[in-house]
Amino acid sequence: MFLIGFIGAGNMAFGIAKGMLSGNVLPVNIKVSAPSSTNLGRFQELGMSVTHSNPEVVCGSDVVFVAVKPHLVPHVLSEVSRHVTKKQIIVSVAAGVTLALLEELLPENSIVIRLMPNLPCLVQEGALLFARGANAKPEDGALLRSLLLCCGLVEEGPEAWIDIHTGLSGSGVAFVYLFAEALAEGAVKMGMPSALAHSIASQTVLGAGRLLRDSGKHPAQLRSEVCTPGGTTIYGLHTLEQGGLRASVMAAVESATERARELGRK
Amino acid sequence: MSVGFIGAGQLAQALVRGFSAAGVIATHRITASSPDTELPTVQQLRKLGVNFTTSNKETVSRCDVLFLAVKPHIIPFVLDEIGPDIEDRHLIVSCAAGVTISSIEKKLQQYRNSPKVMRCMTNTPVVVREGATVYATGTHAEVEDGKLLEQLMASVGYCTEVEEDLIDAVTGLSGSGPAYAFLAVDALADGGVKMGLPRRLAVRLGAQALLGAARMLLDSEQHPGQLKDNVCSPGGATIHALHVMESGGFRSLLINAVEASCIRTRELQFLADQEKISPAAIKKTTLDQVLQQPGVSADAVGVRTRGISVFNSTNPRFKKN
Repeated sequence: MFLIGFIGAGNMAFGIAKGMLSGNVLPVNIKVSAPSSTNLGRFQELGMSVTHSNPEVVCGSDVVFVAVKPHLVPHVLSEVSRHVTKKQIIVSVAAGVTLALLEELLPENSIVIRLMPNLPCLVQEGALLFARGANAKPEDGALLRSLLLCCGLVEEGPEAWIDIHTGLSGSGVAFVYLFAEALAEGAVKMGMPSALAHSIASQTVLGAGRLLRDSGKHPAQLRSEVCTPGGTTIYGLHTLEQGGLRASVMAAVESATERARELGRK
Repeated sequence: MSVGFIGAGQLAQALVRGFSAAGVIATHRITASSPDTELPTVQQLRKLGVNFTTSNKETVSRCDVLFLAVKPHIIPFVLDEIGPDIEDRHLIVSCAAGVTISSIEKKLQQYRNSPKVMRCMTNTPVVVREGATVYATGTHAEVEDGKLLEQLMASVGYCTEVEEDLIDAVTGLSGSGPAYAFLAVDALADGGVKMGLPRRLAVRLGAQALLGAARMLLDSEQHPGQLKDNVCSPGGATIHALHVMESGGFRSLLINAVEASCIRTRELQFLADQEKISPAAIKKTTLDQVLQQPGVSADAVGVRTRGISVFNSTNPRFKKN
C-alpha cells in the first residue's frame, strides 16, 4: 500500500490525484499540502487528507509529487530536504526545472523523477512523459507509471524529450483550442449561431481525437478516408494547405520547445 | 491484329517504342501516318520498322485498331478525312486531351451508324513501359474492345477503365505528371549542385530517388504519409527539409498544379465544343498540309476566315433543302 503526497494543491496536483483515485489508490492514502486552504477543499471532498505542512507530507509518503510553481521549487525543496530518505521517490512536475537542479537541491542519492503532464490530466485524458534521475531505477519508473495509468497516456523518455513534450502536448493543448475556436468562427461566418458552432467544434475535435487514438491508423490514412473525390473535405483541406497550416504547426511546436529549453537553462 | 496511328509525333513514337519493347505486337504490323515527313519522330518510327505513309486513308485500310494521335484541334479534320473509310472492324481510340467520345461519335455517325470509339489518356512514360493509362468506352464499343485496348496499354504500364468524366482529372494528374517530376528532379539536382555535387551525378541521384520512392509506394500497402514518417528520423536532416517544403507550400502547389491542368483541359474541350478555334491555334503549315489530303476540303471542315468551326453539326456536304 503506497502512501502518496502532494506538495502543492493546484490543477496539476488535482488532476493527477483524481487519476490515481480512478486506479487503485485509496483517498486516505493521499495527503496534500498547501499554504492556504483555498485549494484544499476539492481534495478533502474526495476523501484525501490535507495539511499546511510540507514536511508532514514528505515524512508520511512513499512517493512525493512536487507540484508547486517552478520558481517556488528551490524554496520548497530546501524546506523538506532533510526529511527526504533514500527510499522515497520524489516526482517533480515543475516545468523547466531540470533533474540536475532537483538532485542538487535534495540529499545525495535521492530518487528523483521529472514528470511533464498536461492539462487534460484533469479529465483523465492527459499525456504524461517522465524522465528518471540518476538514482531512479526502472522499477521506480514502473511504479510511477502504474500510479499514473488512469491519468492518460504515460510514457518514459530521456530528459531531452521533456522540452519537446512540453511544446507538443503541454502547449499543444492550447494549439488545439485555437484550432477549435477557428473552426467555430468559420461556421459562424457561414451562418451558424456561435454557441452551437462552439459546441460542435469541441465535439468534432474530441471525436476525431478518439478515432485517431483508438484506430491505430496513421493520421494521413484517416484523413484520406474522409476525403471523397471532389467532395467538400478535399476542398477545405486544399485551402488549409494553401494557408500553410502544416508548416505553421511544425513551427509552433518548435517555438514552444525552444522556449522550454531556454527556460530550463535559466 | 494490326495497329495504326493517325499522327506520327511524340505520342505515336512513345507508344510504338513501348509496344515493341513489350513484344505485344510486331512493328511491321504497325502503320503510322502524317502529312509532315520532316518530323524527327518520323525517322524514329521508320527505324523501328513501322510502315510510314503520308496517307491517313492508307493507315485506316491497313489497320484494325486506330489510335488518333494528333493534337486535339486536328481531330475534326482527321475524322472527316477517314470517316467514309471506317468499317465495322475498326476500333477508334482517341488519345486527344479534352476531346469527348460523344463529339467523335457525332462526327463519325455522319458516315457510319455505329462507330466503335474509345477514349484514352496515357502519358509519355509508356516509352519505358511505365505509362499510366485510363480509358473510357464509347456507345458502340464492346467489352472485348475494352479488353483489347487494355491488353495493349497494360503492356506499357498501368491501365484501367474509368468513367469518361474523370479523364480530365487524370490528364491533370498523370497526363501532366511526368512534367512535374522532371521539374522536381531538375530542381533537386540544382540543390545537389549547390551543395557541391557534379550535375550529372545530381540528376542521376535525384531521378533514382523519385523512382525508388515511387516503387516503394506502389509495392506497399502503406499510406505515403506513413512511408514519409519512416524516412524521418527524429531531429534529423529529412524532417528539417520537410519543414522547409511545408513552409513553401509544396503540397498546395502540387494540388494547384493538378487542378490547373485539369481545368485547362476542360477549357480546351469547352472551346472545342463551342466550335470556335482561332486559326492561330492551328499552325498554318500543318493546316495547309492537312487541307492537301484527298477528301479534306476547307468547306467540308468549315474553315472560315474568322474562327474555325471544329465540330460543325451542319456539315455543308449534307445540307438539307
